[in-house]
Amino acid sequence: MKLLLFAFAAILLPASAFAQSTAITNARIVTVSGATIERGTVVIRDGLIEAVGAGVNVPADARVIDAAGHTVYPGFFDAVTSLGLQTRPATPQGGPGGGQAAQQQAAAQSNSRYPMGLRPEDAAADELRAGEGQFEQARNAGFTTAISVGRTGIFNGRSAVINLAGEDVAGMIVKSPAAIHVSFATLGGQYPGSLMGTISAMRQMFLDAKRHQELQKMYAANPRGMRRPDADASLEALIPALDRQMPIIFNANREIEIIRAIDLAKEFNLRLIIAGGQESAGVADRLKAIDAAVLFSLNFPKRTTAASPDADPESLETLRFRAEVPKAAGRLALAGVRFAFQSGGMTNLADFSANAAMAVQNGLSADAAVRAMTLSPAEIFGIADRTGSVETGKIANLTVIKGDALAKDRVVTHVFVDGKLFEPKAPPARPAGNPGTGTGPAAAVAGTYNVTIDVPGQPLTGSMNFAVQGQSMTGNLTTQLGTAPIRNGRLTGNRFSFDATVAYGGANIDIQVSGTVTGNRIEGSIDSPQGAVPFSGTRVP
Amino acid sequence: MKRRIGMLLGLAALAMLPFSAAAQQAGGDVLIKNATVMTASRGTLENTDILIRGGKIARIGKNLPAGTARVIDATGKFVTPGIIDAHSHTMMDAVNEGTLSVTSMTRIRDVLDPKDVAIYRGLAGGVTAALLLHGSANAIGGQSSTVKFKYGRPVEEFVVEGAPTGIKFAMGENPKRANFTIPGQPPRYPRTRMGVLEVMRDAFVRARDYKRSWDDFRAGKTRVPPRRDMELEPIVEILEGKRLVHAHGYRSDEQLNLLRLAEEFGFRVGTLQHGLEAFKFAPEIAKHGAGVSIFIDSWSYKLEGYDATPYNAYMLWKAGVNVSINSDSNERMRRLNLDAAKAMKYGGVPEQDALKMITLNPAIQLGIGNRTGSIDQNKDADIVIWSEHPFSPYAHPEITMIEGVVYFDRKADIERRALLAKEREELEKLDINKAPGSGGAAPRIPTERVRGDIGHIEDSDIDDHD
Repeated sequence: MKLLLFAFAAILLPASAFAQSTAITNARIVTVSGATIERGTVVIRDGLIEAVGAGVNVPADARVIDAAGHTVYPGFFDAVTSLGLQTRPATPQGGPGGGQAAQQQAAAQSNSRYPMGLRPEDAAADELRAGEGQFEQARNAGFTTAISVGRTGIFNGRSAVINLAGEDVAGMIVKSPAAIHVSFATLGGQYPGSLMGTISAMRQMFLDAKRHQELQKMYAANPRGMRRPDADASLEALIPALDRQMPIIFNANREIEIIRAIDLAKEFNLRLIIAGGQESAGVADRLKAIDAAVLFSLNFPKRTTAASPDADPESLETLRFRAEVPKAAGRLALAGVRFAFQSGGMTNLADFSANAAMAVQNGLSADAAVRAMTLSPAEIFGIADRTGSVETGKIANLTVIKGDALAKDRVVTHVFVDGKLFEPKAPPARPAGNPGTGTGPAAAVAGTYNVTIDVPGQPLTGSMNFAVQGQSMTGNLTTQLGTAPIRNGRLTGNRFSFDATVAYGGANIDIQVSGTVTGNRIEGSIDSPQGAVPFSGTRVP
Repeated sequence: MKRRIGMLLGLAALAMLPFSAAAQQAGGDVLIKNATVMTASRGTLENTDILIRGGKIARIGKNLPAGTARVIDATGKFVTPGIIDAHSHTMMDAVNEGTLSVTSMTRIRDVLDPKDVAIYRGLAGGVTAALLLHGSANAIGGQSSTVKFKYGRPVEEFVVEGAPTGIKFAMGENPKRANFTIPGQPPRYPRTRMGVLEVMRDAFVRARDYKRSWDDFRAGKTRVPPRRDMELEPIVEILEGKRLVHAHGYRSDEQLNLLRLAEEFGFRVGTLQHGLEAFKFAPEIAKHGAGVSIFIDSWSYKLEGYDATPYNAYMLWKAGVNVSINSDSNERMRRLNLDAAKAMKYGGVPEQDALKMITLNPAIQLGIGNRTGSIDQNKDADIVIWSEHPFSPYAHPEITMIEGVVYFDRKADIERRALLAKEREELEKLDINKAPGSGGAAPRIPTERVRGDIGHIEDSDIDDHD
């Protein structure tokens, strides 16, 4: 009987189950979980690692990749991204005023009593889109796996761990929901509109969720004579966090922000993870005390302002800050704080390995650096039993590199995601000479764009126009708040950045804008003291 | 003048040390020798020693034996209690939650920034403690924090343990949003002075009902526990006399109305803040028992701030009201000694009573008068050693200590400037600190906060510049 069933299964199972295997031979294998194998073979079948070791036989059906002189690493894991998420349309259809109307509509559709921006139930998994192309850049840099989550609101929502391949969303999700993400942000034009209010609003919500849980228990025990508790989606989403089943991730860089997150986590006994963590080394003892992990951003601060004889000198605080951040990972390791690396919104993923190498120069061991981009994030998100290292039976997420993962001259030659092979193309050679002159890519940035700025709850529309001269850029930013000239406009290839000052609520607010132009499409983000918001738009023909 | 500016820059740079070297001189006994001690409670004592042990003032007298104590020779110097600023927004990463008319759920404690350089500058002006208040954008604002300026120490050590809790109230132009509208946003209720009072009354009534709902639950009259309401819980504490109200206001009519409202609900107002017209109803204030915290000679910066006089402090003092002089400003905080001196000039408040207005009186208003605010045995050693009489415009603090620990030492500060210059030189050589060449857009550093070091007073923030 058993035999018969097995035969049936063999016929019915899709062909992929018996797909051809792949063998990477003659490779140096950095397993991360165990000792490095100086010369060995990794066999991949049906999306999993079938075998790994020095004396492993190559299966007869295997496609063989001779990786002599190459190293196999577990696929790199970027511990915070928004990969796979579409920027939400800033201005919904329906003419002027659509933003507010849409918000009211959204509020009406949700079974949450809390305003948009205070909704932990929002799930990245619900907003992921399918398609391989969107991950190409990340894969080319050796990434196979990432945490994906939106960046708006106080509660950014619940993240998903995704593998960076897959023709459908369901297939790319490794774990969802993975964690609840939180920013010390504010809501536009409504409570909470300040940091104080934000912390108070969160405190009230955690108390509400606690009560919600108690009432549910009471009601389950005896519903008679008791009004049924509301089915509030926001409170429901917080209960796993209160039960310490789901970690809660605070975006926090400054020491005092991290302390605030720790204090709140202690108040409600939450499983805390810090994302960003630029100054986390200074509070390593506090993090260690509550076993909080850090998703440390490798987007290191750099001076971006040009030297000017008229400029005031930079503060010692700023100079020290930039010098200290590369030392932080080494100090976290020394203090025994668990940490993983994330790209922190960097525009060029080549900085990821370069800055990991800088962390190594500043006191982190090279092994710990590789671990922080492979096994450590898998452990932090509770999926180390299936990914994060080169071990038999784990997901075949592998990155093959010519050279060392942290070396400047490294070349990513093969990337396997769920066993699927991608061969990164060599990056296009930089155009010779000054990219800002003539009809090069820089000139292609010049023009006027209609943009929408995704301020949470209060989307703005406007336009940007740029005139380009070499690598500098001039022009204007126009929104409902008026027209502001751009300052410090800079351009590299199709990437641009500028500063501007806008009048808002009776005060002048300094903003920093950065983005890219691809064909007729413009996108990027606007940084202000209130936080960062994305914008996107198209060129006016 | 140039030298002055250079010195200020030096102060700024020094203050950015992550852990002030001064603050590391912790612990150990200290003997301040041979000073002119202005006690703020028992007159001025000439050629007097102060022995500090375990952070407390252990003995005050002449020719005290040093024993193992570190000796600070203060011959020719003046010693006063540390200055206490009863209205400050220093070291706060947020000032106003301006979206609602009642924001009692917000807490200043949540947004303290222990690395704010203004703290160090305050210490350099002799300030050792402050009442950190929410702004005045709402009828009922957030919960205040009483702190000591332990610069270089972790944030939780700033908060004065056991100090009574407080809350900001506000009346007049700011809470009725007379001068502030945000484009695209509907005006916020209340828009009139009577509306402000109604919002307060409504909050008290709601708080009373809230308390009753819990009393009923605890008495077993209801089955389901009420929702914990972070807005109303602090207001219940006001009604129970456990939380001090610090009420921003200008006009005498509405401040008197607040006293009456408090009496109706059975509690006493802690302080009337600003109170430019307090002299008009000083007897009523004295009878109610509220303190008043004022600017000594600043007015006419807004319509409701016209009917004022620098004799306000004198008249209130004369009527037996507890008066303090506050700064409401990071800049003015450093010169409160001169503001106190002006109370002698305008009306002739006696020297000790003028000194009290920036030391013992605010300590009493904050409910910490039993442990600080004067040079008395067993009190915290919160002490300033001045180069000369603190009411002289030439006086400056040489040493400021809190609980016996030196947090500002002018001599050490000056000596360390060369080290800092050297450190800067080294740091500027690093690639990461060099100006970008032709490399183009690099990753951005996080936006540096622009602190409202606005020379003026009065709850300045993004909404409420006055």
